Amino acid sequence: MTTKKTAGVEDSYQIEGKMALPYSYFAGRVGSKFITTLRDQKKIMGVKCPACNTVYVPPRQVCDVDFTDIRDAWVELESTGTVKNFTVVRYDDKHLPRKAPFVLALIQLEGAGTPFAHILEECKIEDVRIGMKVEAVFAKETTQTILDIDHFKPAAEKASIHEVNARRKQWVPTDEPAEASTRKGGKPDMSKPVIITAALTGAATMRNQNPSVPYKPEEFAEEAYKCWKAGAAMVHVHAREDGGMATHDHARIKATYDAIKDKCPELIVCLSSAVGMGKTAEQRISQIVYIKPDMASLNTNTMNFGIVDRKTGKIFIDYVFENTFGMLQDFGKVMEENGVKPEIECYDMGGLDNTLMIGKQGIFSDPMNFNFVWGVAGGQQFRTEAFIAMMNALPPKANFTTCGVGMDQYPCIMQSCILGGHMRVGLEDNIRMPNGALAKGSYEQVEVAVNIANCLGRPVATTDEARLIMGLRKR
Amino acid sequence: MGKRLAVCAVAQIKNHPDYHDWRFQNMLLECFEPIVEETKVTFDMDKGIRTIITCSDDMFDARTISDNGITDVVGAHFRGEEKMAQESINGLGYAMACILSGHDDVILFMGHCKESQGESRRMISNLAYDPFYCRPLGMDYHNVDALQARAYMEKSKVTDEHLAKVVVRSRANGKKNPYGRENKIVSEKDVLNSPMYSDPLREMHIYPVTDWAYGMLLCSEKRAKEFTKKPVWITGYGSCMDRYFLGDRDIASNFSLKNAAKRAYAMAGIKDPRKDVQVFELSDQAAHQLPMWAEGVGIAEEGRGGQWIDDGGMERFNVNLSGGQLNGNPLLLGGAARALECYYQLSGQAGKRQVKGAKRAVAQAATGGAGQHQAVIVMEA
Repeated sequence: MTTKKTAGVEDSYQIEGKMALPYSYFAGRVGSKFITTLRDQKKIMGVKCPACNTVYVPPRQVCDVDFTDIRDAWVELESTGTVKNFTVVRYDDKHLPRKAPFVLALIQLEGAGTPFAHILEECKIEDVRIGMKVEAVFAKETTQTILDIDHFKPAAEKASIHEVNARRKQWVPTDEPAEASTRKGGKPDMSKPVIITAALTGAATMRNQNPSVPYKPEEFAEEAYKCWKAGAAMVHVHAREDGGMATHDHARIKATYDAIKDKCPELIVCLSSAVGMGKTAEQRISQIVYIKPDMASLNTNTMNFGIVDRKTGKIFIDYVFENTFGMLQDFGKVMEENGVKPEIECYDMGGLDNTLMIGKQGIFSDPMNFNFVWGVAGGQQFRTEAFIAMMNALPPKANFTTCGVGMDQYPCIMQSCILGGHMRVGLEDNIRMPNGALAKGSYEQVEVAVNIANCLGRPVATTDEARLIMGLRKR
Repeated sequence: MGKRLAVCAVAQIKNHPDYHDWRFQNMLLECFEPIVEETKVTFDMDKGIRTIITCSDDMFDARTISDNGITDVVGAHFRGEEKMAQESINGLGYAMACILSGHDDVILFMGHCKESQGESRRMISNLAYDPFYCRPLGMDYHNVDALQARAYMEKSKVTDEHLAKVVVRSRANGKKNPYGRENKIVSEKDVLNSPMYSDPLREMHIYPVTDWAYGMLLCSEKRAKEFTKKPVWITGYGSCMDRYFLGDRDIASNFSLKNAAKRAYAMAGIKDPRKDVQVFELSDQAAHQLPMWAEGVGIAEEGRGGQWIDDGGMERFNVNLSGGQLNGNPLLLGGAARALECYYQLSGQAGKRQVKGAKRAVAQAATGGAGQHQAVIVMEA
């Protein structure tokens, strides 16, 4: 302590003091988990009140609105959010974490119900706006406080695919010569929109493989909506029972189809006519007639469709997928008669040739829409030259898309996009992202497909454009 | 009419930027002696003051149990003493509970604060926040009030020009108040050209550092005539605490003030504050809070604070004729300062500021950043 004389009152003294008490604050059990998760895993956690559905961040033990105990109701939040309010602190002081001027903002993380305060940096102060998207930058060294998020910075602004599409000219069909002639020259029309399809489930992908596989109609609807938002024009659906088994039950399939259409009316829905293992021909086609979807899959040859360990060759499931000429013919006719456009599934060149041969009866309306399927145990693996051979064998006005099982998925769709074809992704074919991490849903794979289209400068088809391209009935 | 308590006498020193040669004990003594002299109240344990309520802040005094530094000068030794560590206005609510419950019938209520002694009042308010989520970010009452200002100004169409009007008027009114802090008289242009402090608030939008002390003698209705010929009555009190985390609250909503006012009005039998109350004293720690609190106490329409200023609402409802907190009262003591002004108005002692025929007045004050806790008292002639 020091003393100093007070000016003008020379016999008065001021004692210079300081309040400084080293102190250890316990963050509480809930607070400790928040801080340690932030520190060790770079994850921002909140708690969700099951009674009022509010997601609180910072977390707390009890919801003060309804007194619900929420200490264990943890939810992980995104590290991106939106600026809800801000001030520019223009004074310097010892308690401030930054030199003036700096921005103190209220930021609402995606998934959180309320905003919380933090520092916003890495942008000009005059550019800060309410509503701007920001992302957390985590601290290199821990302080065991909220400053383990060092600050927030502006998030890379990405226009949604729908905004991009709204800004561009809509695609219209031209009287150009048939597709085949340009395809053969390897010079596809890259200005033609690429249709992205998301195959949400298939018959065999289960939740123990990826928890995002939808089973219930409302789950299908939610997942389909996310895919549409991400850029898909079509979803391919195998309906499931609550327990996850593929079903041919008309009511369940209709409920699933209707839920998707209610949630996202413009989205194209392609139902499976394979349904799942061991279904009869009647079970497979009657539901298509009953529901009359925009589109339905049509399989082109009887083949092995098993599950085999790719490394050892060991057979886990030995199953023959029956698609006789008769079924190809009958299913194709029924679909066309009911205004359901077939998506012709070719697992190898033989399937394509079968279709062309039976198709000579005049069953299929133009344009025919083919899907080249790669990597089924029983079909062919993805090879670029095989892809080109199949493309070159297509009838003149046909469209083609492609899908690949497992890690064939990304190479095959990229090749299709390069060659002017379309792309199918989804958890039916592959449960993972290109880096091997589990996909958060089919929509995340749709984002990859959109990325591929962007890299190649191809517009992503709107649902209306997709209908035009594939010759589907109007909405 | 419910039960009421009497304000028999008040005393204060002039609000000042820095009483560097007065200890706060001296400041209190300057308020204590006139009250004793005027009312002849004693410290007799049967008939005199047996309970003393003080208001002060540990952080501003830089000692915990800050009342321990002043119990002798306010006559608190050997009798009941309680400290209000929240906004001083709640000391009146506490005194009211004490007297109306019959616990005691004469109370001396005193408070002090020297904002000038701390190196930074912002650092002090930073310590009001938890050490995990808010304090490390540098949150203090000024930058938090600024966040509120942005949200409220957007909601109620209050502009920088409106705030300039509030500041100019506050200083002009403060000039007429013999106890008001002496501030430079400024024009709206001066305010609009003054430095930004914490956007959208300018430095002039925030009340200045101030030292001050006050005293009040309160008693039951029955005993009022022993101490004064002309008591002023406290007839209503209400308070409300909003949520702690800023993000959990709608900081432009006046949620807690509306609730506090509703309780106080119900107690005092006020149906329409616009008709039933002639004087309003609002604790505008920042300029935007004047129209905002005016909405909260029900004299400005919700979401129309800007228009209310344009329509002359501040004059029509006699708001902050003392200069308000914006002219300078220390933190925590703004509520007592508001109540003292109401006392002068209702007892006809407001001099140049006097509202003729004022029968009822409302004083309001807030504790915590962006008005988390609010309290309202109703006083009557």
